Amino acid sequence: MDHIVRTFGDRPGRACVRASCLVIFFCLIPALLKAQTPDPVPEMERPVPILTGNAGFFTNVNGGETELVPSITPVLLLPLGDRWLVESRAEFKGEFERGGGTGPYGGKVEQEIDYLQLDYIANRYLTVTAGRFLTPFGIYNERLYPIWIRSLQPTPLIFPLGTGSSDGVMLRGGFSLNPKVNLNYATYFSTLSTMNKFEADRLAGGRVGFFLPGPRIEAGVSFQKELQEERANAFGFHFAWQPAAVPLNLRAEYSRSHDGSGYWIEAAYRLSQVPFWQKALRRTEIVGRGQQLFAGEIDEDEAEEYGLPDVNTRQGDFGLNYYIQDGLKASASYSRRFNSDGNVNIWTVGLAYRFALPLGRVGPQ
Amino acid sequence: MNIRVTILTAVLALASSAYAADPPRKSENDSASIGTPVARSSGEADAMRVQGEQRFRANCGRCHAAPHKFPPRMMATIVRHMRVRATITDEDMRLVLFYMTQ
Repeated sequence: MDHIVRTFGDRPGRACVRASCLVIFFCLIPALLKAQTPDPVPEMERPVPILTGNAGFFTNVNGGETELVPSITPVLLLPLGDRWLVESRAEFKGEFERGGGTGPYGGKVEQEIDYLQLDYIANRYLTVTAGRFLTPFGIYNERLYPIWIRSLQPTPLIFPLGTGSSDGVMLRGGFSLNPKVNLNYATYFSTLSTMNKFEADRLAGGRVGFFLPGPRIEAGVSFQKELQEERANAFGFHFAWQPAAVPLNLRAEYSRSHDGSGYWIEAAYRLSQVPFWQKALRRTEIVGRGQQLFAGEIDEDEAEEYGLPDVNTRQGDFGLNYYIQDGLKASASYSRRFNSDGNVNIWTVGLAYRFALPLGRVGPQ
Repeated sequence: MNIRVTILTAVLALASSAYAADPPRKSENDSASIGTPVARSSGEADAMRVQGEQRFRANCGRCHAAPHKFPPRMMATIVRHMRVRATITDEDMRLVLFYMTQ
């Protein structure tokens, strides 16, 4: 260990973290090799590598300024043996505006690696993940973020709090406590990284949730401890309910951190039970969301960097989704934002498409 | 603090390696591998299909609309991905895979 610490220079803290990563790497190699031995799963059921993801094109009008936002988010899934999975998601997102308000559209294309992780399904209770992963804080970041999934295209005001990507190790899983209650959990440690496209903060945290399959209710809490700078704590709460009798999806999150606090409550209702215009209305969903953010102890520049309002803000969102076919939907939304910087209208309209392509032989369907 | 973190991560890595080096025996009750469960009769298959649809609506439907069915080898990968992403239980994953590949 001393040799490793010397190798990485005179900063013992960072050296120890890097040494930890090396330990993990070398310990996982024999496990990886072992996993490549033939498994008993029949050929027709062996998982095949997949390239999936989503693409979209949206026009946003924010306070009178029009922005064109094309994006493509490829996801690579590479199963190894019967217990391993390499998964990665990159995001390419253009943000094009008119120069000077009247000129041609121009701007930058953001490129991000959201996750690049190796998962090992140890048993029914535990999955070990190493690499870059989505920080499990609340439910929006991990489960609702893709544009083909989210009910409203504008992300919640509190979305940047506690979320993003982390580089390190994560333990997670979900299992039944009894026939009426499932428990799911995730706990992680992330190291500080300034490497291009792999930036991460040094932090640790976890999330635990309970899902009641009968009434389809999920509730949980998240906790995060920053291990750098202010060493601040963050806390979150999430709730989701899908009543079986009506095509309604209720979701809510609350977050509190050094950078701010707030909540959002969202209801999405599929019009499949409306007795007229069935052909069109069964594909239509209406969405409403109320949200509020209380600005934290950060200055204007930090707020802009994190994508947070730097003043207390309230916002109401209303949306309409039309599911054209499997994986393809048209979305439109209107938001009204209230804060001391001036109230603004935010309009969004566009298309989102989810694709999935096998990268190997799949045999007859 | 750093030493503690180092020790903790090393222990976690060794524990995961130990699991991989000596994987648990496969049985109906404890298997992490992903394979479609086998129905012993048509009645059992029907029951599993109904169960699978219920689990699909309860788990997958929480976040997104129902997709069309994919070939079994693709579904096996997608279900493994979703098991990790959405922390779906092992039993739910198997029944959803059965439902989506029938």
